[in-house]
Amino acid sequence: MRARYPDADGIVVRDGVEIRYERYGEGWPPIMLLPTWSLVHSRHWKMQVPYLARHFTVVCFDGRGSGGSGRPAGASAYSDAAFASDALAVMDSAGIGSAVLVSVSRGALWALRLCAGHPDRVLGAVFIAPTASLVPPLPERRVQRFGEVLDDPVGWQTYNAHYWKTHYPEFVTFFVGRIFTDRHSTKQIEDATGWALETDGETLMAAHLGLECCDAAATRRLAARVACPVLVMHGTHDAVRGYAEGEALADCTGGALVTLAGAGHFPQARDPVRVNLLIKQFADRVRR
Amino acid sequence: MRARLPDRAGVVQRDGVRVAFEVFGHGEPAMLLVPASPITHARSWKGIVPTLARRFTVITTDGRGTGRSDRPRTSERYAPAEVTADLLAVLDAAGVGRAILVAHCHAVPWALCLAADHPERASGLLAIDPAVALAPPHPHNVEPDRRWADPVDAPTGWSMRNRHFWRQDGGYRQWIEFFFGQQLPEPHSTKQYEDTTGWALDTDAEAMIAEREGRAAPSAGETEALCRQVRCPVRVLHGSDDRCQPVARGRRLAELTGGDLVVLEGAGHLPHCRDPVKVTRLIAGFADKITGAPMHATTWTRGPCRLPRALYLSSPIGLGHARRDVAVARELKRLRPELEIDWLAQHPVTAVLEAEGEHIHPASQWLASESAHVAAEADGHDLHCFQALRRMDEILVANFMVFQEAVEDGHYELIIGDEAWDVDYYWHENPELKRGQNVWLTDFVGYLPMPDGGDREAFLTTDYNAEMIEHIDRYPWIRDRAIFVGHEGDIVPDTFGGNLPGIRDWTTRHFSYSGYITGFTPPQPEEVAPLRSRLGYRDDELVCVVAVGGSGVGQSLIEKVVAAYPLAKKAVPELRMIVVTGPRIDPAAFSQHAGLELRGYVHRLYEHLCACDLAIVQGGLTTTMELTAAKRPFLYFPLGHHFEQNFHVRHRLDRYGAGQCMDYATTDPDLIAARITELAGKPVSYRDVETDGAARAAQLIAELI
Repeated sequence: MRARYPDADGIVVRDGVEIRYERYGEGWPPIMLLPTWSLVHSRHWKMQVPYLARHFTVVCFDGRGSGGSGRPAGASAYSDAAFASDALAVMDSAGIGSAVLVSVSRGALWALRLCAGHPDRVLGAVFIAPTASLVPPLPERRVQRFGEVLDDPVGWQTYNAHYWKTHYPEFVTFFVGRIFTDRHSTKQIEDATGWALETDGETLMAAHLGLECCDAAATRRLAARVACPVLVMHGTHDAVRGYAEGEALADCTGGALVTLAGAGHFPQARDPVRVNLLIKQFADRVRR
Repeated sequence: MRARLPDRAGVVQRDGVRVAFEVFGHGEPAMLLVPASPITHARSWKGIVPTLARRFTVITTDGRGTGRSDRPRTSERYAPAEVTADLLAVLDAAGVGRAILVAHCHAVPWALCLAADHPERASGLLAIDPAVALAPPHPHNVEPDRRWADPVDAPTGWSMRNRHFWRQDGGYRQWIEFFFGQQLPEPHSTKQYEDTTGWALDTDAEAMIAEREGRAAPSAGETEALCRQVRCPVRVLHGSDDRCQPVARGRRLAELTGGDLVVLEGAGHLPHCRDPVKVTRLIAGFADKITGAPMHATTWTRGPCRLPRALYLSSPIGLGHARRDVAVARELKRLRPELEIDWLAQHPVTAVLEAEGEHIHPASQWLASESAHVAAEADGHDLHCFQALRRMDEILVANFMVFQEAVEDGHYELIIGDEAWDVDYYWHENPELKRGQNVWLTDFVGYLPMPDGGDREAFLTTDYNAEMIEHIDRYPWIRDRAIFVGHEGDIVPDTFGGNLPGIRDWTTRHFSYSGYITGFTPPQPEEVAPLRSRLGYRDDELVCVVAVGGSGVGQSLIEKVVAAYPLAKKAVPELRMIVVTGPRIDPAAFSQHAGLELRGYVHRLYEHLCACDLAIVQGGLTTTMELTAAKRPFLYFPLGHHFEQNFHVRHRLDRYGAGQCMDYATTDPDLIAARITELAGKPVSYRDVETDGAARAAQLIAELI
C-alpha cells in the first residue's frame, strides 16, 4: 500500500507518446518532481511525495521509456528536449503555471533546459546528485565501452549496449548496487531493481543514446542562463557520479551546495528525511 | 554592560524635536524596531538586538518623549503623523530605503500607517501584542479610560491610569509599578520588571500625559481601512495572557492583513523581554520568509557516518574553569578516543585552550564578553556577583543564540557546559531547542543573599533558586547529567530560601559528585625542590605569590599587598614577592620595589602556587583549591558582596581546614605584613584533595555516549 495516493492522475500524449503523471496535495509553490534516466520511474520519489504533498502541490510523471509511460523506439524519442517538453505538457495538463523543479541524476539535464529555455515556468531548481557532464567520469568508469562488443564484461564494462540486449537484469543488479553503496540498503536496492525491470535493455539503450547535452561546455552554456534560485545536493560517496559534479554545478549556477557527507547517488531514497527537509526549506524561500 | 554596542548612533530633528536612533549590523533586510514610546524606549529590545544584528541591519529608536529623545510637553507633538514622520526621518538618516517594521503595542498603529501610506518603505510588518481597535478592550480598561480626565480620589489598580493621579506626588511611579506588574504575569520576571519600570521612569508624567492625549489612535473602521491598504507581509505575535491588549485584537489584525498569527501561550504583554529567544527566532524567520533568503552551503553528514562530537562550554568569568575543563576533556578523550571536542569559549579562556592545542569553534568570535561585563560590574575589591549575573541578561541571551546556532549546524551529540548559565537557563525556558546529551557542571548550587541586601535581596535569590528548581522539576530531561565538582560536604548547610528545600539534600538528589577537579597533580613533598629550581626560586628565599585571577578585578587587592611589601620585607629579609596581575591588569600600574616582581599572564600559574611559601589571593574557588591541594599556606580575600566567595568557597575551605580568610575592608598593609611574617613557609595540615576528579567527571560524561 502506498503512504499516499494521488488526488488526480492523467495521461498527456505528445507526438504519440503517452506520459503518465500524478498530482498530489495543494499549496504554493508547486513542486515538479522530474523523471531521471528511464531505468526507474516516478515511484523513486515515494519517500518525498507524502511529505511534500502536505505542504505543496506535487506533480510527478513517469519518464518516457519507464513505468506507465510509453516506450517509443529510437534514440531520437529520448532527447533532453523531449523530456523537457514532456514536463511542460504535464504542467499544462495539471494546471501548473510555474513550479520548483526537483531532479535526480540525469534529470538535471531536463531541469537545466527548462530553467534556461522557460524561465517563466521555473520558480527554482533543486538538483540531487546531478549528472551533467561538468567533470570527467569517476576513474573506475573509464573501462566503459558502450558500443563495443566485449567478451565477458565485468563491473562498469557492463554499461554496454550489447550486454544490455542479453543480460539486462545482470546490468541492473550491478548498476543499482552502485547507486546504493551505503550499508543496509537492501530495501532500496530491491525497489530500484524492481522498477528497472519494468523496462528493458532496448529501451534503456535508446534512452542512453538520446542524450544530447553530453559535454561540459554545453552544460555550462545552459547553466549560465539559469536565473532562478538553485540548490544542489550531492553525496560525498556517490559511486555513479562523483561529488565534484555537484560542486561544479553549484558553482556555475550560483546555487547553494549542500554536501551530503557519506551519502550515495540516490539520497532521496536512502536519506529521505534530510532530502525532504532541504526541499521544503528551499521551497519555503521561493518568492511569490 | 550592553551585549552589543551600536555601530552608529544619531539624532533626527523635526520642528525642533530631537529623536534618537541607533544602527546595528549591516545585513539584509533592514528592520526598524518601534517601541511603544514614551512608556518604554529602545532598550526594551536589548534581548533581541544583538542576535538580529549579526544577520540584519537593525535600527532602534527611542521615540519622542523618552530615552535620549526630547520630551515635548504638548499633545499635538505626539500626533500619529508626527511619530510616523519621525520614523521615516530615522530610516532616511540611517540610509535605509525599506525596512521590516517591528512594532509593539500602541506603536503598531504607527507602523500600520507607515506601511499603508508609504508601502515602498515597509517590506514587512511584525506586530507584537498590537494595540489596535479591532476588538473590544479588556473590560478592566474601559472605565479608567472613560474617566481618564476626571479627578479621582485615591485610585487603585487600573483606575490609576488617570491624568490627575499621574500628576500627584509619586502617582506616576505607582501607576507604572502596578502596570508592569500586570504586564509580566510570568513568574520569575523580577529582572524584566526592574528593567521595564526603570525605562518607564526615564520619562515623566507630563510627557506621558501629552502622548496619551495626542495619540489619536485610529478607530476600528480606520484600522480596518489601514489593514486593507497594507500590502506587505504581516506577522502578529500575541501573548495569551496579555492584560494590556486582548489576543482577539492580534487575531483580527492577522486576519485583516492576511498575516500569520503566533499566539504565545502563557506569555504576557512583553514577550520580547520575557521570551527573547522565541521572539528573536520568529522575527528572523519572518525576515527570511520575506526576502526568500537564499540557502547557503552546508554539510549534512549521514547519521551512521558521524564521529561523536562534543561542544564544550567553559565559563569565561575569570580563568578558574579553563584548566579543570581541559583536564576533564583529556580524560574524556582517553575514554572515548574517537570523540571530537570543539570549544565555544571566549577570552581569557581561549588563551588557555589555544595554549593547550584545543579546537575553538569559530562561532566563538560572536560571543559577547562576560568577563568584560564582570570587570565593569566590579568596584575596587567589591563585586556583587548575583546582581552582576542578573544584569548580564542580555549578554547571556545573545550568547545563547550563538550557541544554539552552533549546535543546530554542528551535529553535536554531547554538550558539556561548565557553568554555562545561558544554555541551562534558556534550554529550560525553550525546551524544544535542546539537542544531544547535555551535561551540566558546577561547583556551587544556590544563590545566597548578602546580609546587607536585606529582604529584597533575599526575595530575589529565593526567586532565582525557585525558578531553577522548577526548571529541573518540570524538565528533568534537559540536564542528562548534572555533576557537582566536589563532595556533598562541600555544599553549604543553607536552604534555597523561603519554603524551598535544603541545598545539600536537593543537590544530592539531582547531581552526581565528581570530587574536586584540580586539573593537575600537585607535587609530592620531594618534588617541590626541583620544581622551585625549575621556576628559578632559591631554597634560601621565601617566595610569596600574589595572584588575582584572570579578570580585571583585583587591582585594589594588589595595591594593598604591594603597600604591605616593604613592611613585610623588613620583617622577613628573605622574602621574595611575585605579583601576577593577570592578562587584564597592566603590571606597570604599580609602584616598584626591590625584590618585588610584577608579571602579567603566567602560563601554568598553578606550578608557581605549588612551589611558593605563601600565597595571597582572592576568594575564588579554583586558586584557593589549587593551594589547598598543594598544601601551601595562603591568605584569601573574598570579594565584597560576592556570595559565592563569601559563603560557598569559604565553607568548602573551612571543611578542608585550608587558608586564612581575610576581610579586605578592615585589613591594612600592617596586618598583611604581619600575616606574611607569621605564615610564610610554615607547614599546614589540610584535608587531602583527590587527584582523580577529572577522571571521575569524564567517566560520568562518557556513560552518556
